[in-house]
Amino acid sequence: MSNLPLSTSAPRLTVPPPNTDEKTPLLELKNLEMRFPVKRGILSRVVGYTKAVNDVSFEVYQGETLGLVGESGCGKTTIGRCIVRAYTPTGGSILYRTEQGTQLDLATLEPNELRDIRTDIRMIFQDPYSSLNPRMTVYEIISEVLRVQGGHSEAKMKEAVQTMLNKVGLRPEYMHRYPHAFSGGERQRIVIARALITNPRLVVADESVAALDVSVRSQILNLMETLQRELQLTYLFISHDLSVIRHSCDRVVVMYVGRIVETAETDDLFKTPKHPYTEALLSAVPIDNPRQRNSKERIRLKGEVADPSNPPTGCFFHPRCQYATDICKTTTPPLETLATGHTVACHHAKELSLQGVTTH
Amino acid sequence: MHSVIDIKDLNVHFETRQGLVRAVNGVTFSIPAGKTVCLVGESGSGKSITARALLQIVPKPGKITSGEIVLHHDGKTTNITKLEPRGSEIRKIRGSEIAMIFQEPMTSLSPLYTVGNQISEAILLHNKVSKKEARDRAIELLKRVGIPRAEQRVDEYPFRLSGGMRQRVMIAMALSCNPKALIADEPTTALDVTTQSQILDLMRELQEERGMAILFITHDLGVVAEMADDVAVMYLGNTAEFGSVDDIFNNPKHPYTQALLSSIPKVGAERGDLVSIKGMVPSPYRRPSGCPFHTRCAEFIEGVCDTVEPAAISFSDDHVARCHLYNNAGQVANKEQGRHV
Repeated sequence: MSNLPLSTSAPRLTVPPPNTDEKTPLLELKNLEMRFPVKRGILSRVVGYTKAVNDVSFEVYQGETLGLVGESGCGKTTIGRCIVRAYTPTGGSILYRTEQGTQLDLATLEPNELRDIRTDIRMIFQDPYSSLNPRMTVYEIISEVLRVQGGHSEAKMKEAVQTMLNKVGLRPEYMHRYPHAFSGGERQRIVIARALITNPRLVVADESVAALDVSVRSQILNLMETLQRELQLTYLFISHDLSVIRHSCDRVVVMYVGRIVETAETDDLFKTPKHPYTEALLSAVPIDNPRQRNSKERIRLKGEVADPSNPPTGCFFHPRCQYATDICKTTTPPLETLATGHTVACHHAKELSLQGVTTH
Repeated sequence: MHSVIDIKDLNVHFETRQGLVRAVNGVTFSIPAGKTVCLVGESGSGKSITARALLQIVPKPGKITSGEIVLHHDGKTTNITKLEPRGSEIRKIRGSEIAMIFQEPMTSLSPLYTVGNQISEAILLHNKVSKKEARDRAIELLKRVGIPRAEQRVDEYPFRLSGGMRQRVMIAMALSCNPKALIADEPTTALDVTTQSQILDLMRELQEERGMAILFITHDLGVVAEMADDVAVMYLGNTAEFGSVDDIFNNPKHPYTQALLSSIPKVGAERGDLVSIKGMVPSPYRRPSGCPFHTRCAEFIEGVCDTVEPAAISFSDDHVARCHLYNNAGQVANKEQGRHV
């Protein structure tokens, strides 16, 4: 891993890409937990803990785009940050399969052991205005990681940055300019170039198009898809925007207050949701056709997202759920895999027939 | 339906050191009573500045250089563009005739005053009532916008409330003087989808109840499809197209509207490559000549689109687009000349 090929066009896979029926998980999250202390008073006494991520397990397969969706405070960003080890998880494991086929637990690696992983797993941030250093040129920003990695000559780095800029659709001549000279969409292309310069295997994209205008957003989504095909990337796509998730992801994990409520293939999730929260979430998305305005009965959730530092008992969703019964108030539903391939945490998943999004 | 506000050929220009920015450049439309007009466009299209011009709160160095904004109230008409931005007349209109709610409910509420205090302020300013009455009315309003335990919440500070609750407080404040028109500048952009749908429902209910005209600014076409009666699609300070929500979504005429609609990922659609508009919104300092959209337009006609500013073409009574592809009768005239570049 120490001698990563600089030229991104170099084929990375020495073995043919794995066929679809024998998928290997690139990343496996097992019972991941991230607690943050709640501090009070002038002595900052710890008075309790917020479980931002609570017993979360899922796999990310090689070559897929996995969506992580939920409302604010559901822990989706925290998971992303745990994977790139911006946070050290307080429990559970993050098993990462290296190119050599060995499994590493990212959750417990020491900082010096993480160095190699940091070029393998990269992150694209939401806000292209605050995530680029205004005092560095585009060339410095993109090549910084190579410099930290060491062992590359200036000429080689320049060539690598040029190739990368071409790939993301920016003119290499502009690489000595500063970020302020670029528009939001162009900045996001710089952020993508910076993430991909190390030839990573997994890219964590945290709300990567949320700050962009519609016309630019579609350009960036298309670019990310092209690059995925070209460079055999695996994406973990974190977003609150269901239409973006629908468009970009193969599978989706839906989260609510730190827990997974449902996991399914994208089409299945949107057409036949199995968790009442997924149903409500889908129902809340505005339909972009004025003629369908009153065609369906909207599900209106009562109240607001629960406070993760003081969550309800049993199923976290029960105070807002129209199907809740007594068992929901007392017992936490386990994640179960249904015959349809959905994994759901709901006591009534088998009996309920929920409304999805109709294709038009 | 009579209109509450008529905007005619409005121009708002900013004279900056880098040059003149025509933020709003000849915008014309009306907002009828009880109806919702959505202003939709990308950043820099002038939608927020148009809304701010209605209250004479255009940020410096912006100035309304020409045009009319006519407010019809109680049988009189007032031309807002003629009023002094700091004068007493416009202050009587702000908050009482035309109210506004903003995108970020945290920054637009004062952290130093209780919720009740802030709502009462508007009531006391525009009505002859006692403090007690104003407070009672504030509680009444908080109840109406769906805030539980309103009697206690009225004495709380905004930081104690969630984003959705703060936006409800903003709406309560805006409604405190029964305005004829409500301007909502991206009121749900900072909110989660389930909260967004609650707030949109609330706004629709209140409109039905009080017959307000709403000017709703958003960049989210899904929200437009849900809320609008009429839609103005803006691009670089111009209304590229204006029409009923059905016309805009099912019979769009302007290439920009068409491109915008096809570039949004849809929840109900199968996967596939998204159509995207090439390039990006030009810098406001370098406004393209002719039709401002010609640099990105797939139907660009050389020698026409880049030289002549297109006039407004009417397709029906309330469907107007500014595009050289159509002749005065609203038929496709120049299509065969259009070429894809």
